[in-house]
Amino acid sequence: MASIELLLIIALASGFLAYLLGRVNRVYGAIVTIVSSMFVFSSLAYFGFTDSLDTTVSILPYVTFQVTYLGMFFAVMITFIYAMVSFFNPMFIKDYKYPGAYSMLYILSMAGVIGVFFTDNFMVMFFFFEFIVWTSMFLIPLGHSRKAAVSYYAFSAVGSFALLFAIFMMREAAGSFGINAGLAAISGTNAIVVFILLIVSAFAKLGAFPLHTWLPIAHGNAPHPFSPVLSGALVKLGAFVAVMALIKITPNSYVIVALDLPLAQYLVAIFAGLSIVFGTLMAIRQDDAKKLLAYSSMSHGGYILLAFSLGSSIGLSGGFYHIVTHALATGAAFLAIAAVGRQTGTTKMSELGGVIQKMPVTYVVYLIAIISMAGIPPMGGFISKWLIFQAVIDKGLILLAAAVFFGSIGSFLYVFRPLAALFLGQEKPQFKGILKEAPVIMLIPMIVLSGMNLVTGIFPNIFLQFINKVIVELGMAPVVLGTYTIQGTNGILDPLQITIAFGIGVVIAFIIFILLKKSKQVGLMDTYTAGNFIYSEELMHYSVDFYAPIERLYEKHTTHVQDMYKSLENKVKEFGNVVKYFFFTNKPEITVFWILIIIGALLWGDLL
Amino acid sequence: MMLSMLYGVGIAFFGFVLHTSVAGINRKISGRLQKRYGPKWYQEFLDIFKLLSKRATSHGWIFDFGVIMALGGIIATAMFIPVTNNFLAFPDFDNFFIFAYLIAVGMLGMAMSASGSGNPLASIGVMRALTTMLAYDIPYMVVIVTIIKLTGTSSISGLALYQQAAGNNWFIVALPLGAIVAVLALMAGLGKKPFETYIAPAEIASGPLVEYGGKQLGMLFIMMEITHFIEVSLFVNLFLGGAENIFIFLVKYFAVYTALSLISNVYARFKIDQVVLFFYKWPLLIAIVQGFIAIYLGWVI
Repeated sequence: MASIELLLIIALASGFLAYLLGRVNRVYGAIVTIVSSMFVFSSLAYFGFTDSLDTTVSILPYVTFQVTYLGMFFAVMITFIYAMVSFFNPMFIKDYKYPGAYSMLYILSMAGVIGVFFTDNFMVMFFFFEFIVWTSMFLIPLGHSRKAAVSYYAFSAVGSFALLFAIFMMREAAGSFGINAGLAAISGTNAIVVFILLIVSAFAKLGAFPLHTWLPIAHGNAPHPFSPVLSGALVKLGAFVAVMALIKITPNSYVIVALDLPLAQYLVAIFAGLSIVFGTLMAIRQDDAKKLLAYSSMSHGGYILLAFSLGSSIGLSGGFYHIVTHALATGAAFLAIAAVGRQTGTTKMSELGGVIQKMPVTYVVYLIAIISMAGIPPMGGFISKWLIFQAVIDKGLILLAAAVFFGSIGSFLYVFRPLAALFLGQEKPQFKGILKEAPVIMLIPMIVLSGMNLVTGIFPNIFLQFINKVIVELGMAPVVLGTYTIQGTNGILDPLQITIAFGIGVVIAFIIFILLKKSKQVGLMDTYTAGNFIYSEELMHYSVDFYAPIERLYEKHTTHVQDMYKSLENKVKEFGNVVKYFFFTNKPEITVFWILIIIGALLWGDLL
Repeated sequence: MMLSMLYGVGIAFFGFVLHTSVAGINRKISGRLQKRYGPKWYQEFLDIFKLLSKRATSHGWIFDFGVIMALGGIIATAMFIPVTNNFLAFPDFDNFFIFAYLIAVGMLGMAMSASGSGNPLASIGVMRALTTMLAYDIPYMVVIVTIIKLTGTSSISGLALYQQAAGNNWFIVALPLGAIVAVLALMAGLGKKPFETYIAPAEIASGPLVEYGGKQLGMLFIMMEITHFIEVSLFVNLFLGGAENIFIFLVKYFAVYTALSLISNVYARFKIDQVVLFFYKWPLLIAIVQGFIAIYLGWVI
């Protein structure tokens, strides 16, 4: 038996240990993050899957725990991402202004994850929720952008306050802060309000339209090793909140008979569809590879919300599995880009090219990650998208199907862009001779994640069986699984069979290739140029405005949401100036006067 | 399982031979239309075998690996194709989405290899191919979703049997608007004019294929022939009621491919943004209208 409390305390303590050791030598602190996150992940996974997590609490005040399959699903997956990414920390730690603080905050934010997913009390959950927000808020500016942290905090605050109000309303209805009691007790008009609040919170956390603008800013500017954690792990907190709202609360709303779907759920699905489309369109036009992946996270967040909002067990299963496959794929892709960023000093595609020549392993990792992200077999992304397609088609949602397929085909476009512009193409002269493959310690997690991408695609039933337990716990029928097959609503899928077929195809192609005459190796500059003499690599590399013809069709309409938030920001600033003018002038007595008036007004009727 | 796999490889080989012959005959037909004599019907075979026997240049390992991945992925996809009701390798497992996404592995391999050649024209060609795909696949998928929702199965052979059952029309009749969209999408998928923007020989020097020669080009030609076989067979199975025996399949296959070739002969080429605007203006609208009237109003002929 392993006590969750003990794990939490160990995690918190190792955070402070990391800080102290980080003061001595910055690399030691980073190594503590590896040890600590690996320990937390492996104990959670081992004791969790053998059903031997102990929930008794003896030291921590107010905190109570419970073990649910839902919580364990999220906790194990998120700590796995933390554990994998932590291998990158020693290599990046020298870039930070406060290396000790980085190591400490990294571990503390992971400790918060344990608290959120294993508690049965709303207030404790909210406390750790905020704990994660605050620790990660101080991690983001270590990537040298203060604005990114502000933007992250502003949107997180929207989500947090919405969650807090929802918690208060449920407390009012149930009489206690218990999660299950609160969700069960809420009904009538209050249920609708709580539903909306929780959905706002989920959208803000997941970065779904229209609360998405923080995603590219925060992901793009966070330190390289923290971007995968944000995108693969922390964003998924929103999915957890979305499950509470969409599955556990059923507000009395008008049911659309033709679609067999409540209006509330359908509206969420519409916004999820918009997230998919807008995320895809914005990802297509990014030049910074990290921002591109951030917008792809927005689009995939839309898939997850859409899957949950359909309310069928195959949709739920697809949503949960998409959380896993997207976390693995985006984690691997972000790590590959981080490795390139470390070796070259930039992640902008227009400044890079031909990185594959010196970093082939990183390239293969990225390739496997994007095959999964684009939903192509034999990787995990195909299985989860297939399940989501089943759910969408089962409901006959034509418009959402168009959005889903747009996101799916669009993902071919945006994931291919870094492949062509950053990894392939001409080798830029400034990197010739100096560029090296990433160090082995960085290759380890990348290779493990690639392996996981393959395993999720070939043997998905290992994971889907556990997800079935989660679904049953949420009160739905499990998805029918064979030994290797998955039964959908309109067909059966056998991922192993597809993989074997692909393997046979490649073997045949390889035999044809190897039997024929050997080719002559020529350089990359030795290409057809229609008779023109092109002497430099820059001129021979196509990487700027890669999708110019399609970008041109919508480039005038890309800033509407930003403009809206900008004007909102100006209004808030103006209001702040008004407040400042009346209350905080250079005469302190005026401020004191107003404070007294306000206190008097607040206490009116109670004491006075 | 292994036997089914061998059977599948047989189907892929059958598809290669079939499509290369049909394409050869169509070259002859086009020639006669333009008052030329036209090449022999087996000219495409000669081209491919000549290329395979020649010595070529290579631009590094990704250039070669991409070609292998492309051909391998396409062979794997073709293995799942149901040719007739009985001539198929994996009954029940010929899910539509396997074709839609497994074919993408082959495409990705080719795109990767082309970009790996370091020629900007190849990257531009790939960009145009992906953009075209984004244009034509969405309306097409919406039509397919309608069909799957109506029949309750996504198995290609299941859909063919559904159309053959008494009282059901072929979907080209049952869903006439959807069929128009599917024909347009098929033309774009096959790279027929006016949607052949990504090949555009005189403009971007054959796009993705610009750097290839010898065995790599030969393998990519084989890959293209099998890709076309997959796309046309899917159309035959989805909209023309599949085939009870091999003879009916051959007739339907030849009719579809020849009709599309004839249509494409009278068109000039679209610009790439025109392709996108075209598909998002009419076919997408028609597809959605078809979906609404078929699913929610139940108007199926």
